[in-house]
Amino acid sequence: MGVVLDGLVLGLQLALLSVGVVFVYGLGGVLNLAHGQVAVAGGLVAALLLQARVNPVLSGLGGVVAAGVVALLLDRTLLQPAYRRRGEERLLLALILTLGTSFALDGFFTFRYPNVALSLRLAAPSVEVGGITVRTASLVVGGLSLATFGLLLVFLKGTRLGKAIRCIIQNEAGAWLCGVDVDRARTVTLFLSGVLAGVAALGQGFFSYLGPDMGPEFTILALIVAVVGGVRSLTGTFLASLLLGMVNAALSYWVGTYLTWIALLAVAVATLLVRPEGLLAYWP
Amino acid sequence: MSVPWTRQAAPVVAVAAVLAAVPLGVGDSPYQMRIATLMLVLACYAVAFNLLFGHTNQLFLCVGALASLGGYLSVILVRDLKLASLAAVGLATVAAAATGGFLSYVSVRRGFGVLFVGIVTLAVSLIVHNLLLGLRDLTNGETGIVTRGLGMGLGDHPLKAYYVLLAVMVASLAAYRWLFGSRHGAALHALSEDEVSAELSGIDVTRYKVACAAGASALVGLVGALYADLNGFISPSVYAVGHVDIPVLVALLLGGMRTLLGPVVGAALFSLVDELVRPFGQLTVLAYGVLLVALFLLFRQGVVPVVQSALGRRVPALRAPSSRTAAKEEVAGGTEAGR
Repeated sequence: MGVVLDGLVLGLQLALLSVGVVFVYGLGGVLNLAHGQVAVAGGLVAALLLQARVNPVLSGLGGVVAAGVVALLLDRTLLQPAYRRRGEERLLLALILTLGTSFALDGFFTFRYPNVALSLRLAAPSVEVGGITVRTASLVVGGLSLATFGLLLVFLKGTRLGKAIRCIIQNEAGAWLCGVDVDRARTVTLFLSGVLAGVAALGQGFFSYLGPDMGPEFTILALIVAVVGGVRSLTGTFLASLLLGMVNAALSYWVGTYLTWIALLAVAVATLLVRPEGLLAYWP
Repeated sequence: MSVPWTRQAAPVVAVAAVLAAVPLGVGDSPYQMRIATLMLVLACYAVAFNLLFGHTNQLFLCVGALASLGGYLSVILVRDLKLASLAAVGLATVAAAATGGFLSYVSVRRGFGVLFVGIVTLAVSLIVHNLLLGLRDLTNGETGIVTRGLGMGLGDHPLKAYYVLLAVMVASLAAYRWLFGSRHGAALHALSEDEVSAELSGIDVTRYKVACAAGASALVGLVGALYADLNGFISPSVYAVGHVDIPVLVALLLGGMRTLLGPVVGAALFSLVDELVRPFGQLTVLAYGVLLVALFLLFRQGVVPVVQSALGRRVPALRAPSSRTAAKEEVAGGTEAGR
């Protein structure tokens, strides 16, 4: 039972990471390989704020906003030349640019903040819910992720900008012809993806700790889920995240972490081979 | 071919001559010899990656993984099966070629674009890396394997190591030059511009892509095996993506994609930059990243094409062996002869 709950919460964490990647990919035609580093940036800001004795809730919020701002800056500066191109060329340019950014950020974090880590401790390590002992962290992270997704859903379904964003995902040129400001929607999406990544970083901080060198791991996890998602909708990514989260928790419980990594990667490769029209294929 | 072979071979011979003279200058310093040899290793990887990414649009982010396959296989074959080291290197090369060819075949068959090939090969890289870490009985995990006594002894003879690597690199450059002087070169140029049109004009795109991938992977596997020998020690991290693939990508962009000398010039410049930032520890990663972004944004052509256009007609032998410039050379040669 504990494994199932762990898996679900891990799945929510994965969803927070990968929905951002899928979102940006669907909307901007850009695969952000620096996504994990954005999350780490948020986590580090939160950790630094905590070190400066700022209120924990404010620190968390600050970290989340910081992650969003890093993604926003990425969009307004480096990705602009990529947006000027279309299709495969845009993908490739953005791929290399974000890969370079990810290395630059990785190097900066590990050089400047080698010993800073975000580790959020809760007052009670575990609580009793319905007869089973549950880690408080799991409950908090689960609640936090669900609340974030709730807000995201309200934004997408309820606001004009959210509708515009969904239009662009379906057809960029069509949305532009209907008067949608594609550029602004892209920027908002990048910011949102950063915010989601920041929340994921906080979750990691609750579970164990978040170090300055964890960017690549986050990026790769997000990529794996995005690839396995294999569907057009965010719901699909969400389901894939939960599935992989459960698989991950079960495997690391019974087999060990090293084989879990290989299994996850193998699942991603297999998905690509069997269903290459998967999630990432809906950008022409 | 109307371009005489002597003129075609001239740049290769010139590079070979310049690089062969390097040990005369730095031969006394083991440290500098090591840097020069590692530069050749990087240049070989970059030549292979140029063929893969530059000419056939296959973003193989598994150069390090293929090299580790060559390195580990050659060492393990000697250690556990008591194979002769030369045979082991040969087998490792073949294994790398087969792996690269297979990856390419699958990718072409499934119609993967650049992005998908990149993701698949990156995932393969990570799988290989984790396997190397996990299969402790075979690979010693993170501790790595001391390869001294398991190879041809390149680790104990820096000069020999340098010249063996130089021979491999010059051979690969010669093969590259030959390839692009032949009709296959024209086919490769056609398919790198537009695969569908190339297929329609009767070029077997699948065969070309797979053959290029297999050839390039063979080179990577061979150099990976030689590296294992000359380095005296291998571990999963010396072949990691950040240690091989990223430098290769940066070096190739720096030197210039789709050129004969781009990989070599890029590798030399990269080694220089790498030496300059080495004292700053973790900043090297930062430097790689900034370099990658800056190069791709501002300097996508690379050094070699820029120098070539600056030198212009004066040194036609320096030009890229592309079908288009070859045609121009013919025209230029014609007018020269006319005078």
